[in-house]
Amino acid sequence: MTLKAKIAALAAAALVAVSGAASAADWAPSGTLKLQIGFGAGGSTDTMGRVIAKVMKEQTGWNIIAENKPGGGGVAMFTGIANMPPKGNVIGMGVNMPVLINLVKRGDQLGFDLDSFDYLGTVGRAQLALIARADAPFNTLEEMIAYSKANDGVAIAFDAPPQKLLMEVVNRDSEADFRFVSTKGGAENIKLMLGGQVMAGFGAGTHVKYMEAGDLKMIASANDSRHAYAPEIATVREAGVNAYLDPFFYFAITKGTDPAAAEALGKALEAALATDEVAEVVRNAAQTDVENLGVDGTKAMMTDGLENVKVLFGG
Amino acid sequence: MVDLATILAGFGDAFTLWNLTFVLFGVVVGQFVGAVPGIGPVMAMAIAIPFTFGLDPLPAIAFLVGVNKGGLVGGAVPAVLMNTPGTPDAAATAMDGYPLAKAGKPLKATKMALFSSVTGDTFSDLVLITVSAPLAVLALRMGPVEVFALMVFAIAVLSGLVGNSLIKGIIAAALGLLCNFVGTDPENYTPRLIFGMWELYDGLPLASVAIGSLAISEILRRMAQSSHGTASAINLRDNGEPDARRVTWAEYWGCRFTILRGAVIGTVLGALPGIGSTAAAFMSYATAKSASKDPASFGKGNLHGIAAAESANSAVVGSNLIPLLTLGIPGSVGAALIISAFMIHGIQPGPLLFQEQGRLIYGLFGAMIMANFLNLWVGQLGLRFWVKVVSAPESVIFASALLLCITGVSMATGGLFGVAVMLVFAGLGYLMTSFGYPVVIFTIAFFLGPRFEISLSQSLALMNGEWSRLADYPIALILLVLAIFAAVWFLTRRTPSAGPLATSD
Repeated sequence: MTLKAKIAALAAAALVAVSGAASAADWAPSGTLKLQIGFGAGGSTDTMGRVIAKVMKEQTGWNIIAENKPGGGGVAMFTGIANMPPKGNVIGMGVNMPVLINLVKRGDQLGFDLDSFDYLGTVGRAQLALIARADAPFNTLEEMIAYSKANDGVAIAFDAPPQKLLMEVVNRDSEADFRFVSTKGGAENIKLMLGGQVMAGFGAGTHVKYMEAGDLKMIASANDSRHAYAPEIATVREAGVNAYLDPFFYFAITKGTDPAAAEALGKALEAALATDEVAEVVRNAAQTDVENLGVDGTKAMMTDGLENVKVLFGG
Repeated sequence: MVDLATILAGFGDAFTLWNLTFVLFGVVVGQFVGAVPGIGPVMAMAIAIPFTFGLDPLPAIAFLVGVNKGGLVGGAVPAVLMNTPGTPDAAATAMDGYPLAKAGKPLKATKMALFSSVTGDTFSDLVLITVSAPLAVLALRMGPVEVFALMVFAIAVLSGLVGNSLIKGIIAAALGLLCNFVGTDPENYTPRLIFGMWELYDGLPLASVAIGSLAISEILRRMAQSSHGTASAINLRDNGEPDARRVTWAEYWGCRFTILRGAVIGTVLGALPGIGSTAAAFMSYATAKSASKDPASFGKGNLHGIAAAESANSAVVGSNLIPLLTLGIPGSVGAALIISAFMIHGIQPGPLLFQEQGRLIYGLFGAMIMANFLNLWVGQLGLRFWVKVVSAPESVIFASALLLCITGVSMATGGLFGVAVMLVFAGLGYLMTSFGYPVVIFTIAFFLGPRFEISLSQSLALMNGEWSRLADYPIALILLVLAIFAAVWFLTRRTPSAGPLATSD
């Protein structure tokens, strides 16, 4: 074989190798693909994540397992993902708010920043509402503030730091004097409201059934937009509070993953999210619709979200 | 609220061969994973849930209920046969179950556990089916202040379990509470004692602490004592007496008050979300011991001890569904997983569940009753199998148990970090036992700690930090007064020579 032929053969081999790596359609995870869920078993993130993993497995034929990696609302799981070799065999599923707030409040202690990841997409936006007992003597946030001022502070049940931060903004701006009762989850918020120990609290979807039953009512949407099931209820921002919470369920992988792998994973997720099966579980578990922002949209959502959290919570 | 036709239709749906198959499958899986150290029914349910998507709601939920109930029976097996409980509530069963098994009556001990477990479970299921609505209203009245007082009361009752040395018991409890401070505080979410390890942000993983301090430390202790590896893990001195292999009706009937008391304690505590089976099992055990004419026999293989613990911790599981089905509020992780299964099938739990899904709920009740009978039947067969298994040489049993614990904990906690924590607590448990500190007290304090802390923080927020407002909470006041009486009663009645937890042998 002449030198020329050798070079040509090498070039051809390299071309094959490169084109092979660059083609998302051919990429498949080497071994098991893990979907790590940043929360414990049985919650809404876990429920959705497990079904998404199952649908992806059926669609792609890859061996996919879902595993729970709880800790700090996803911080522990994403720390692990940021610091593992980018092989494209682990996808993280978490919620943006706890991650963003920890980045703002103690970013120097975290093992990652927003640039530690490649983003794949989102499942949807959690619908967070400020709710109250049906017999509470107020119907809007303005009335609730006035009532709280006049009556030794309304007690509000909350189960995650962003909810408390949001209402602290209200306290700062209007001296509403709200008191905060920390709980272990949305169900406990509802229990305390039904039991009459607190008058108001936060709900992330499960409260809708109680509104239908006439036990609870909605005071405001904590998101930046009104909720589809209660379009007449104003948002916290519309009520004059310069803050909102938009919790997104999102997927990310380690920065520097082979672009072909990232593309293949993103496509696989997109296909799974487009199924009726996933749409149904998202509706059931989080009372919301599938809303996949895609690769660029998710990154923008995280970057803008970080600025939002910084500005709004005075980090 | 629900008419008779719906109830009958629901039960009619449940009692089909198809459902029976799923319940049976669930019970078998549940008993197996409950008995194998390390995995546990909760993990099995979490794994199984997505696979139930393709099923109709009733068989899917019937299967999960089977796993949950089977796990209860299975959980007592390693506790009784090997003294290696995987959860703190099974540790209560081990206190009398293991001494009895060691005395050559492993089948008697496990059968007593099975019978009291199924009895307690059936009792609380009947309460759930008949009077869940009023009990749910009662549970709602128990706000944070009342729950805090209840936790104080529970801790006071548990002082009846402190063994030889009061000081060592208090030190063990304090250590358990200290470990519970690891992770974020419930008020402002400031990380505490995590030393830069974000895995600890939500606290020490429960499975690691329980299996490490209770099961692995015991395995370590036995391995250290064993001089050669060919002895059986359990001494089956079968002397041919049928009495050693069965529980007679007279023995069961003799425990009826103990079982009933345990079932009531378990049902009441189970109806209150978030308290859990640990408190129930130990409160039942402590009261059974103090009500006994012969408290000194507790901890030495008394059937009443097994009956008290098992009836109470099994009763919790049925009544955990009371707040779930009437109000949509899960009382435990197992109940939360059942909610998750409901949601996958498009059923939103909440106050309207009985009206909207009455037929399904009564179908679920039917499945629960089937699961109880099957538990008894599968258990009878399964126990013989497990007793055979543990009569294998220690070298085989302990090595496999260690492997299973490591696998189970790494699955439950999502990686090797949980295994590392488990090994740390195994070492701690080994040292505590060697120096006569009660590991069980440590574990109970650790498991009750989070609810104790958060209800204290909630109470302070509700009362605006003013203790005088306690006067507005009569139930809480009564519980606090009872707690003082209970502490005095138990501590003065303490029989130092018979402390069941004087484990330094």
